[in-house]
Amino acid sequence: MNQLIVNIKNLNFSYTKTKQDIENLELKIPKGSIYGFLGPNGSGKSTTIRLMLGLLKKNSGTVVLFGEPFTSKTRLQILNRVGALIENPSLYDHLDAVDNLRIAANYRQNIPFSRINEVLEIVKLTQAKNKKIKEYSLGMKQRLGLAISLLSNPELIILDEPTNGLDPKGIIEMRTLIKDLNKKYGTTIFISSHLLSEIERTCTHVGIIRDGKMLYQDTVASLKESKGTNLKIDIEVDKPTEALSVLKNLKMENISLLDDFLQIEVKNKEAITEVIDILRSEKIDIYQVSIKNNLEELFLSLTEN
Amino acid sequence: MTALSFYISSIKNEFIKLKRTFAFWLTIISALLFPILFFIAFCIKHKTNTPKIGVNPWDYFMTVQIENSTPFFIPMFIVLITGLIMQIEHKSLGIKYLFALPIPKWSIYFGKLTIVIFAIITTYVYYYLAVLLSGFLLGLLYPDLAFLNFHPEHLKYIKLLLVSLVASLGIIGIQFWLSFRYKNFVVPLGIGMFLAIIGIIVSQAPQSIYFPYSFSVLSVSLGDKMPLIFGVASVTVFSVLCFLVTSILGYIHIKKLNIK
Repeated sequence: MNQLIVNIKNLNFSYTKTKQDIENLELKIPKGSIYGFLGPNGSGKSTTIRLMLGLLKKNSGTVVLFGEPFTSKTRLQILNRVGALIENPSLYDHLDAVDNLRIAANYRQNIPFSRINEVLEIVKLTQAKNKKIKEYSLGMKQRLGLAISLLSNPELIILDEPTNGLDPKGIIEMRTLIKDLNKKYGTTIFISSHLLSEIERTCTHVGIIRDGKMLYQDTVASLKESKGTNLKIDIEVDKPTEALSVLKNLKMENISLLDDFLQIEVKNKEAITEVIDILRSEKIDIYQVSIKNNLEELFLSLTEN
Repeated sequence: MTALSFYISSIKNEFIKLKRTFAFWLTIISALLFPILFFIAFCIKHKTNTPKIGVNPWDYFMTVQIENSTPFFIPMFIVLITGLIMQIEHKSLGIKYLFALPIPKWSIYFGKLTIVIFAIITTYVYYYLAVLLSGFLLGLLYPDLAFLNFHPEHLKYIKLLLVSLVASLGIIGIQFWLSFRYKNFVVPLGIGMFLAIIGIIVSQAPQSIYFPYSFSVLSVSLGDKMPLIFGVASVTVFSVLCFLVTSILGYIHIKKLNIK
């Protein structure tokens, strides 16, 4: 896991002279990881990806992929090991899926025709392979885009907002697919997204970017731990004010009432049962108890001023 | 992988992309347009067009068509076809994808340029065949027109068309660069159409031999008055030079471009 597939240091880039779009960015993607690149819209995620692939010319800094600095000399060799889906997939609307894949296979050369059927099977588009792309739904297009990036069995797959515009079913399918690829073939996957829940469920590593600066970079597990061990829970009860005074009498910390929901902080999951027992012993009915996502708060605190 | 294999695969892909596109149909429609118009004109006025005994009717039929249609139509056609072929790529957001593939950028630029030229040559071929066919049909319908009694002098007309094609190379280079650079179809189309019209208007001026958009008209209109450079028509030389310079500059520019 220590080997770095991507190692970016002090990356700087600006589209215009007045604004620095990427500032001293560091990005380290370990081999075999699913790296989530998280940030609000317009924070510089796509720009970073374009810089990684050499679509934009960096102002300064180093971009190293597979241990090789990305230069015009190493460009072909590096891109040979990468499959990328940048924002909306580039698909020829008037052709069918097979033709689109054939074009990609021709460009990459030495890809047998049987591989086209294989990737169609992986993304579950075999049934629709002879349909024109203009008849495809957005989810199908995203899947075909992924199939194209899979064609050459790349060691690194870069997916820019792969679940953008997908319905819940499409999102779940895409997530399963990404995890499978990582598990079965050990492919390193780099996903950019503005959705925290996506990254949390799919990724092993996370990088958080805002205004072109990397704010945080580590494993998802340590991100969760970094916010302290306390669990925040919401409880819905029939008599909220009564419940509040009961718990306050027990000198529990950080208790508050918000929109008729009790909000409490507890040390661990066992403490949740204790709170429930106390409320029940006072004949207070409980309708629901939910653990709040601290990661979301952390994300907001990191990305908002 | 050799440079040639990159170039060949790029061209192979351009053919697949052309399938079922308007650009493909435009090559056929444009080729048929004028032969059909002339066919109708000859049908209506077949009596006045009956040649004197012993005169080869093909000569007038072919020259009048080529000289009256190609100089004005070809520049507009090139503007349109170049824009449409590049639009297939822009519409599918293809440039960012192509430039992130492990293939040299030159193979993309020149592969596409080759297809554009190929499409234009195809139109010339279709056009020539359509003119011949319309002549034979006229001969069948109106034996007085005597098309079936004589043979067309192929070499002469092919040479005329070849001169017109070479004179168009200059604007192919310019229009291809513009169409590659601008995603918005209107930019190369607007600039191209405007310059093509200017090219026709200024073609009377002697200085127009330096203006690529006039070359197509001049290649036909100047005839014997064409200034020569080392024995070659100046318009031909300038057109080829313009094509080479704009293609190379265009490629260097596109290669360095930031793909947003």
